Amino acid sequence: MPFPILSSLVAVPIAGALLLLFIRDDEAHAPLIRLVALVVSVLVFAGTLLLWSLFSPGSAEFQFQERYAWIPSFGISYAVGVDGISLLLLVLTGFLTPLSLLASWHSVHRKTRAFCLLVLLLEAAMMGVFISLDLFLFYVFWDAMLIPMYFLIGIWGYDRRIYAALKFLLYTMAGSVLMLLAILGLAYLHSTATGRYSFDLQQLHQIGIPASLQFWFFLAFTLAFAIKVPLFPFHTWLPDAHVQAPTAGSVILAGVLLKMGTYGLVRFAFPLFPLAASFFAPYLATLAVIGIIYGALVAMVQPDMKKLVAYSSVSHLGFVVLGIAAMNQQGVEGAVYQMLNHGVSTGGLFLIVGMLSERRHTRLIAEFGGIKKVAPHLVAAFLIITLSSIGLPGLNGFVGEFLILLGAFRADPRFAAFAVTGVILSATYMLWMFQRVNYGPITRQENAAMIDLTPREWAVIAPVVAMTVVMGVLPNLFLRPIGPSVERLLGRLDRAVPTRIQAGAPAPPPQAPRAVRTAAEGSAR
Amino acid sequence: MIPGLNAIVPMACVTAAAIAAMTAEAFRSPGERMPIAGLGLVGLAGAALATVALWNQNASSFGVVTADNFGLFVTMVLVVVGVLSVAISGPTIERQGLPAGEYYALLLFSVAGMMLMATATDLVVIFLALEVLSLAVYVLTGIRRSAATGAEAALKYFLLGSFSSAFFLYGIAFTYGLTGSTRLDRIGSLLAAQSMAPTPLLWLSVGLLLVGFAFKVSAVPFHMWTPDAYEGAPPAVTGFMSTGVKAAAFAAFARVFLSAFEPLRGDWTPVLWAIAASTMILGTVVGMAQSNVKRMLAYSSIAHGGYLLLALMAGNEIGKGAILFYLLAYAVTNLGAFGVIALLDTAERPNDQVRDYAGLWNTHPGLAALMTIFLLSLGGFPPMAGFVAKWYVFSAAVAAGYNGLAIIGVLTSVVSVFFYLRIVVMMYMTPADAPAVFPAVPRLAGAALVVSAILVFYLGILPARLLDLAAASIGTIF
Repeated sequence: MPFPILSSLVAVPIAGALLLLFIRDDEAHAPLIRLVALVVSVLVFAGTLLLWSLFSPGSAEFQFQERYAWIPSFGISYAVGVDGISLLLLVLTGFLTPLSLLASWHSVHRKTRAFCLLVLLLEAAMMGVFISLDLFLFYVFWDAMLIPMYFLIGIWGYDRRIYAALKFLLYTMAGSVLMLLAILGLAYLHSTATGRYSFDLQQLHQIGIPASLQFWFFLAFTLAFAIKVPLFPFHTWLPDAHVQAPTAGSVILAGVLLKMGTYGLVRFAFPLFPLAASFFAPYLATLAVIGIIYGALVAMVQPDMKKLVAYSSVSHLGFVVLGIAAMNQQGVEGAVYQMLNHGVSTGGLFLIVGMLSERRHTRLIAEFGGIKKVAPHLVAAFLIITLSSIGLPGLNGFVGEFLILLGAFRADPRFAAFAVTGVILSATYMLWMFQRVNYGPITRQENAAMIDLTPREWAVIAPVVAMTVVMGVLPNLFLRPIGPSVERLLGRLDRAVPTRIQAGAPAPPPQAPRAVRTAAEGSAR
Repeated sequence: MIPGLNAIVPMACVTAAAIAAMTAEAFRSPGERMPIAGLGLVGLAGAALATVALWNQNASSFGVVTADNFGLFVTMVLVVVGVLSVAISGPTIERQGLPAGEYYALLLFSVAGMMLMATATDLVVIFLALEVLSLAVYVLTGIRRSAATGAEAALKYFLLGSFSSAFFLYGIAFTYGLTGSTRLDRIGSLLAAQSMAPTPLLWLSVGLLLVGFAFKVSAVPFHMWTPDAYEGAPPAVTGFMSTGVKAAAFAAFARVFLSAFEPLRGDWTPVLWAIAASTMILGTVVGMAQSNVKRMLAYSSIAHGGYLLLALMAGNEIGKGAILFYLLAYAVTNLGAFGVIALLDTAERPNDQVRDYAGLWNTHPGLAALMTIFLLSLGGFPPMAGFVAKWYVFSAAVAAGYNGLAIIGVLTSVVSVFFYLRIVVMMYMTPADAPAVFPAVPRLAGAALVVSAILVFYLGILPARLLDLAAASIGTIF
């Protein structure tokens, strides 16, 4: 049996969390606890890198699959695997977790053990979400992830943390329970078609889902994912959760959790229900474009840096959804790439904001000004990450946005035309904020004594800055594994919806699976 | 062993332990400590062994008690309920100065009645079992004789309970008048033969029995007694009755309605639909407004009854298995939660307001973590038992085509998370007003809670074995 590398990505953080339980929870042991958690999360990151190096990028199939019977009478198995779409999200998760632990080195000083334990459990659940190939398993991780995040926001957050934590949990859960029913419906459909239950993604692909059911199932899945993304108008939990969460929480929330929504669309909602997807895609794209512009406009007027970054996420994730809804190679590839970019650059922004607010205990833009004079290194990092978030060519954000806009243009030029204003708006609000915080005279006495990056902070922010450059200059390194999987996904959509006219999409192969074709004909009637 | 008596061995063990407990109490000199709880555990262990030995035997005694796998599964659940209840009762008895012998004897008699109810296949015996368990529980509810709330709760429970028993008996009488039998199998075959033309009198008898069962499982609109009884009883007793009575009543409910009255399914499902929907909704919505933890969990227990009704209505293979699994999952989870409440309960202060839990994390991190596990399981979060149980119930509902009820079910379970988390917010995120004084945790009770928590995770992560057992159990009778 080969080494179960995917399972180890889930098991190692859990084992690390259990290990922490054996260390005494007091002041004296806090550094040890932090160190253990950091080492564990770095190990996991190394594991994801190893995975990437072993991954064969030319293949679109799920690799490193593991499959064990779990609840055999219901066809539930522990089935995990990774393809080009999930691979880099795993790496991103592995990358951001140690950084967020390191960023909380001093800011979290009470209940350190519980904090580290929850971060590790959260990491395990996030990894689980991205590797699950069984819908039951996926749902378990999806829901289990809410609990550590709830505690992270609720215990270590800012003033309105309890409200924000509860809102986050209830919103996400309300969306996902309907998805649970849709999953059950799918399994039941499988049992009527084949005589046995199955929650396995690949087996569910084989059954023909009647068009009418596809619509309901797609809506249930998409509601769950749209809340998570968050797609306008389901975004209202996000500013609260982001602003109230501690830095580590914000970084993980923005960096990884939001990606689960878009990942779910790509992995489950679109390929499982292709007819409904192609029907609803324009509506999704419309909401995405509204989100892009609305998020940007609201971000512009925020007095609070964290809130500004939070709303910028609404705008940027709108791009991702737009790319997915374009349903062509450029759009989806760009969307997957943009998920990574957003994780790095918004994660970086939250880290910087965390550093600033740690120094000044405020996040209000008006409280800063002239920081460049006192903390030039900090501001340099801030600048690079800001520019990457805006999408400056040469940095990572540009590649993703460009691909998405290209894809959107091919699908419907109107969407691209409106979405492109988001790029301009993002430059406006980000640069305006950057200018007010960092340039001009030092108006507050407290700012004059601000210290520059400490060695620990260098360790936190340097990797992020390096990534923005690497991902901007060498996008092919990252796009190479993504490409084949996206192609396969689009091939599936094309086979299911033969009428779909796509410029640049691969021609539909002649023989579509019979069951799917019947479903397609059913809807045509 | 005499073959004709095999089916009643489990309840005989428990009854023997109860009688021994009574005798021991009678011969106890004042101030002398006796291991009466140990007697109870021995009896329950005997019942567990007998249950395992009877598995797949389909033994029958007197033609009215059948130890089929369905009944034995519920018996096993009741053994778990009994053991955990005995374990968490210790601190309550000691701190409140309750008479240990009487307490354990009543508890064990009640368990015996529950076991009889789960395996009885004759309406009269079901009624007898119902009375045995109810009388014992009425007394247990009011066992804190000095407390006004306890007396009030016991009286309310007793009056309403006897009223519902009368309904139940009336329903049995009508059924007997119409079919000439009280045996479930004969009733079932007779009704199947003439199911084309159900008379109004038949509807009436089904309705009366339905009222009797609905009262015992605290389904809306027969739930009124639940919050008061749960609040007034000592927490250990509340945990016991919320899980044990529910398990026994649902076992009999399922047996009667899914075997004897199965031919009339088309007539009673619409009624049950309305009852299940309103039970789920009222339980969660009113639960949100509670400031007393026991009352809150009373409404939560009402809501969980609604989910069980949903499984019962679905009535398919999955639904029947779901009832059994749900009862087990609910038993370990809810007893765990009430165990924590019982450990915080002192003679001076009940500590049962939501507010009292503020800062529990700082003083009792272990108890707070356990309580969180139980509450999250009640709320249906993976990887806890409650999630698998709910998933099983909703699978049954979707397979049976009750999509509307399934949607109500999942949405109410989201709402219920809101009030479960109120306690979590208190424990972890709210500093205590005054340094709360909580008593130390006794070893046996603490161990019982840890075992429940392990079971909660076991049922949530590796449910396959028990799901298969539950599914195999229902094949034997229905």
